[in-house]
Amino acid sequence: MATKPKIAFFDFTSCEGCQLTVVDLLQTHLGLLDLVEIVQFREAMSEKGEDYQIAFIEGSCTRKSDEARLQKIRAQAAVVVALGACAHLGGVNALKNYWPIEKAQRYVYGEHGQDAYESYPARPISAVIPVDAVIPGCPIDRHEFLRIVQLLLQGRAPHLPDYPLCVECKFKENACLNYHGIPCLGPITRAGCDAICPSYGDGCEGCRGWAPEANFAYMREILRGHGLSDADIDARFTMFNHYQFQQMGEPAPVTTPLGPDRTAPLPTSTFAAPKED
Amino acid sequence: MSLYILSKERLPQFVKALQGKFRVVGPVVTETGFAFDDITDPAQLQMDYTTTVLPPKKYFLPQREVLFSYRNEKENGGPQRLEMRPVYQDVQPTVIFGVHTCDMNGVMLYDKVFSEGFRDEHYMERREQIYIIGIECLHPCDEASFCKDMGTLTAPPIYDLHMTDAGDHYFVDTGTEKGERLLLDNAYVKMAEKEDIQRLGQVLSAKWPRFRMRLKMSRDQTPSLLTLGYQARLWQELGDRCLACGSCTNVCPTCFCFDVHDENDITMQGGERVRVWDSCQLREFALVAGGHNFRESKASRVRHRLMRKGKYIKQVHGLLGCTGCGRCERACLVNITIPGTLNALHEEMQLESGI
Repeated sequence: MATKPKIAFFDFTSCEGCQLTVVDLLQTHLGLLDLVEIVQFREAMSEKGEDYQIAFIEGSCTRKSDEARLQKIRAQAAVVVALGACAHLGGVNALKNYWPIEKAQRYVYGEHGQDAYESYPARPISAVIPVDAVIPGCPIDRHEFLRIVQLLLQGRAPHLPDYPLCVECKFKENACLNYHGIPCLGPITRAGCDAICPSYGDGCEGCRGWAPEANFAYMREILRGHGLSDADIDARFTMFNHYQFQQMGEPAPVTTPLGPDRTAPLPTSTFAAPKED
Repeated sequence: MSLYILSKERLPQFVKALQGKFRVVGPVVTETGFAFDDITDPAQLQMDYTTTVLPPKKYFLPQREVLFSYRNEKENGGPQRLEMRPVYQDVQPTVIFGVHTCDMNGVMLYDKVFSEGFRDEHYMERREQIYIIGIECLHPCDEASFCKDMGTLTAPPIYDLHMTDAGDHYFVDTGTEKGERLLLDNAYVKMAEKEDIQRLGQVLSAKWPRFRMRLKMSRDQTPSLLTLGYQARLWQELGDRCLACGSCTNVCPTCFCFDVHDENDITMQGGERVRVWDSCQLREFALVAGGHNFRESKASRVRHRLMRKGKYIKQVHGLLGCTGCGRCERACLVNITIPGTLNALHEEMQLESGI
């Protein structure tokens, strides 16, 4: 066998839970190391090789200074893979896009946070650099990670399921949560996680992004049937997919939690904004 | 065939006697209803149940089924060759209890689909080891049932044994010789006598008024209705509503379409070819190389499903592709139903009832 392809992991704004999932995968699938050589992986090793062919990027782009680093990775890697919901969708980080960035900075970092910490509206990495493959989810599904890596190594298209989660729920013969009082976004969310949340009784929150034919109008009707207000429904639609709704254009389908004017006073942080006096 | 009497008290013994020799499955209670599952304790078996999310088709055509395994074998210095070994998954002597008549009609169609023309050896290997024990439906499962419309309220001739609840005992009809042997070898039964048979007649004739008709036309009319209504406005309306989630086909006792793909193992030198349930309601189903999709719109897919159920399958296999079990209706979050669709089509085409 020729030399093993070199892979590297990078993180931007994220919890690094997807990389932890990869570490976890290596405990049961050590054979992965026979297929690839990991040259950079902050979660698992201290060496930092810059000679890689496949880059896995976790996290969203939330700072101007992230852009240069992303460009540098793109210039080096033959294949760039977005790892997890933050890199793929912008994810929960994009919830801050509801607010003017200065307000979000003040809320999170305190009165002088704006000077101390750089920030701008969160975006998926595909908004900054071309991305060749995506491994969705919050966190990623380890088996899907392995499958996508294998497809890439074979030079095949890294294909994702393009149907809603309901397919996997039916395979497992789960009772439909939407029929049992638990709002579930499964009918509009891309499958591939083996319906893990609904299988344990939690409604899907859409962390894998929308299925290509997501029927928002009728999903909204289903959620109204649960007694949810439109604001509640918007909040569910945008938990992981705020950036996607921003991109879907006019009129913005989103009501902000602070009301449409976006000028209501911010809630007080319990831990991040120390009292000034 | 012969008719026997099995007292209800002796059913657990029958199940227990089978357990050492067979995989025994049947309806059990779940958190939200019923499901077919392995019976580990005879007390779990619920012969009196309403419906299940999935029909027993999962024992005939599993959601995911390995067809063969492959491995790259490289001899020293020689050429690479791919070694393939057939796999027959879930082939074991199995007894399925409590199959409703609608689901037996589904199995009857499966048997035709997988044996006529191209004989599917994976299906047939498994099928030959399955015993079907039906249960006569004396009440409709719920409002979604329309078995009476579809003519599936009578047991089709595919059962090995068929049970009818008569209060303190079951009538057990034997459909096959192997079914009769299964019963006599494992259960304590007595032959039905003349008055028993009269009693069975009463039980069976009393059930029919409990089932309502939902179709505004005869089922015999559906092929021509669908032909006439191919260009109906209705399809667009249904397509707009459809979530394209595939739930209707996955829960359907007659849907049999599958996708085939390879799953490599961690070494990438071997793996398995598997088939998994597929659905004509999903976008990729009719997508072909080059990017053309033969059924791009959801409207065309909803129509295709109805055409299959009400016309195409009948043309190929002689049976309608719908058993009236109502599962697709229960699974559909946007209330697309087969009776509702056929009735709306009937109305749009302004046809006579034909009943």
